[in-house]
Amino acid sequence: MSLLAVSNLTKHYRRGGKTVIAVDDVSFHIEPGETLALAGPSGSGKSTIARLVLRLIEPDAGAIEFEDNDFLALGGAALRARRARLQTVFQDPLAAFNPRATVAHVLDDPLRIHGIASRSERPHRIAALLERVGLAADLAPRAIHEISGGQRQRVAIARAIATKPSLIVLDEAVSALDVSVRGQILDLLLDLQRQERIAYLFISHDLGVVRAVSHRVILLDAGRIAESGDARAVIDAPQSAIGKALVAAAPRLKRTTQDAS
Amino acid sequence: MSALASIRDLTVTYRRDGNAVAALRNISLDIVAGERLAIIGESGSGKSTLALAIAGLLPASSAVAGRIEWSGLGRTPLLGRDIGFVFQDPSASLDPVMTIGKQIAEVARTHLGLTWSQAYAKAKTLLERVRLPDPDSALHAFPHQLSGGQKQRVAIAAAIAAGPKLLIADEATSALDTIVQAEIVALIRRLVAEDGMTLLFISHDIALAAELAERIAVFRHGQLVELGATAQIVDAPTQAYTRTLLDAHIGLDAAPLLNRAGLPA
Amino acid sequence: MSPLRRFLRTPEAVAGAILLAALIAMALIAPLLFPGDPQAIAGPALLPPFQDWSLPLGTDRLGRDVLAELFHGARTSLAVGLAAAAAALAIGAVVGTLAGFAGGLVDEVLMRITDAFQTVPSFLLALAFVSVVGPSLGIVVAAIALGTWTGPARVARAEVLSIRERDYVASARAIGMHPLEIAFREVLPNALPPVLAMSSVIVAAAILTEAALSFLGLGDPNRVTWGGMIAEGRAVLRTAPFLSIVPGIALVLTVLGVYLAGEGVVETTAVRRSLS
Repeated sequence: MSLLAVSNLTKHYRRGGKTVIAVDDVSFHIEPGETLALAGPSGSGKSTIARLVLRLIEPDAGAIEFEDNDFLALGGAALRARRARLQTVFQDPLAAFNPRATVAHVLDDPLRIHGIASRSERPHRIAALLERVGLAADLAPRAIHEISGGQRQRVAIARAIATKPSLIVLDEAVSALDVSVRGQILDLLLDLQRQERIAYLFISHDLGVVRAVSHRVILLDAGRIAESGDARAVIDAPQSAIGKALVAAAPRLKRTTQDAS
Repeated sequence: MSALASIRDLTVTYRRDGNAVAALRNISLDIVAGERLAIIGESGSGKSTLALAIAGLLPASSAVAGRIEWSGLGRTPLLGRDIGFVFQDPSASLDPVMTIGKQIAEVARTHLGLTWSQAYAKAKTLLERVRLPDPDSALHAFPHQLSGGQKQRVAIAAAIAAGPKLLIADEATSALDTIVQAEIVALIRRLVAEDGMTLLFISHDIALAAELAERIAVFRHGQLVELGATAQIVDAPTQAYTRTLLDAHIGLDAAPLLNRAGLPA
Repeated sequence: MSPLRRFLRTPEAVAGAILLAALIAMALIAPLLFPGDPQAIAGPALLPPFQDWSLPLGTDRLGRDVLAELFHGARTSLAVGLAAAAAALAIGAVVGTLAGFAGGLVDEVLMRITDAFQTVPSFLLALAFVSVVGPSLGIVVAAIALGTWTGPARVARAEVLSIRERDYVASARAIGMHPLEIAFREVLPNALPPVLAMSSVIVAAAILTEAALSFLGLGDPNRVTWGGMIAEGRAVLRTAPFLSIVPGIALVLTVLGVYLAGEGVVETTAVRRSLS
């Protein structure tokens, strides 16, 4: 069985009396340790799918199976407990944290809520999590708004891995970062995947990044799947109209002297 | 090669909670008349401060040293008439309760001394030039009725309404998706060529800047790291930081970071 | 510039702070300066002010020391004003947070109750409540809070509605946090600043309402209140106007002080937030 199996997922919005179809009959699956990318222009439904999979919003139709359970049937305490296995990292690392929080506070929450460590153990676990994402343990008492954007995104990743999830939804998780920081965060994510066999649902509008880090890709257009398959095969030779448009629009750096240094 | 503007020893300092933070340090730079110049850098590089300083939009709390000489203009530039400015977020730069037509017409009326009917005719021409679908009905539309890309087209129309010599685009495509971004970049390129404007293109994306600009200035921590022709910056950067930025670009031809052997069949 | 220094550079705010400090000082030293019962007879009746320096502000119809009454009245005004405002803000914040965060039926019910309270003039509500339950300090506080919590509730709800959509609330849900913990630990503290900004107006209004209730004889009969003093003086307004004027001035200065100091705090912290 797949880690995550989404079938016939559909979501409508009512906006000013009109019904907008945000996600239209979308099906896909993710295997353990795999990265599946969702790419498409804005309004293609990729972020709506992320929120549906996370059950931050409810679908109008369709089914979501996660770790061989009907994920949509869960509610209340059972859903909250299951959330430990399905985590997320958002785009804007500043907006994703309570503006009053400290680093320690942010990492304490998942450990406390899911009973992963006792109160006395938690400071050690927090220090270990910080080190795991490449941050110094003495960052813990700092306020979230005092640390840099790259550090914040590392804290967001630490929060996501605190509960040992099998799947992390990365919703444009590297799009708002400076390019020099972006490479380091991608390296960290890939390292975590290798070590812990975490699967990623990688949502991005940047085909270059998608191609570099994903196993498979789904190209979305107006809520529907336009094309899917091996990430490099699809992006190197797109068949769908939206795939061709996305590839044509991606900025290219024409370097005549490519050196590896 | 004559300079439209010469920036000399420009230092801009912001005051924040009693501390002075230098956003730009001793910047000297010529903007050549008619060129497309890109200013690139990461967050905190000072690239947006430079755009604001040139446009005269710095907040009152900032301290400015050095000077900007407008030898190519012969007078102190007026924002709107001599300089058109396109911001990152078109929703924030358009008035939500004023029609598109009126917003553009107002610029033309203020700076070109047109009557309202002349100004509206000009606005319609401008909406056609920025390729907004159905310009007649767009004149009477409000910003919320348009998509993000369409709003940015309107913002560009308003910026060029008075026929400015210099167009400043400050991360004007960063909030848009790749396809719309490419369309807006193509639009800016065409308008700049048609009107003989000078373009200052502020961006964090070196690949995007390289596609559009003839010269690139790389900024970091408020300082000018490197300035050169696009081909030189891309192919033979002299500074390590420029090389870092180039190497950090993940294009469609980049080597995969993913170790595919790690995935079980 | 630190908020404190900015506050100290605003003349109105400093004036308000001085008035408020004087009021608090009066309330604190009242039992030390006038240890006896302020309602005890201290001298001849209707002694005008500045005649006898042991009774500087004179005496009322029953020969009670007006200055002692004024000091002890400050205690009542301050206690009722602060307690009623705190109660109103607390009720309002909790109701607004629950309504905004839960949405749906809970929101509907809570907001219709808020409407119902808001349609009745708050002073009439307080008047009716005290007449039915009987006047005592706690009842007066409850009566005033009953009429003023609706404003904070509406502001809190509006703020919560916007905060509810932020990423950090989605993050809290995604890590499995209980909805009540999200509402009261993640959302409410961030919704408070605009609610607290109303506190200066609410405290000032509460002090005035307390005075009005006392004026109508619905204050706590065992305590000296400025409203009660004004009511007392009303009977001899022509012959001894000072009995109404002195507590009246105290009331005006207090309300002004609370308002100016509160606005000063809001202004200076708002500037700080818009900068960051």
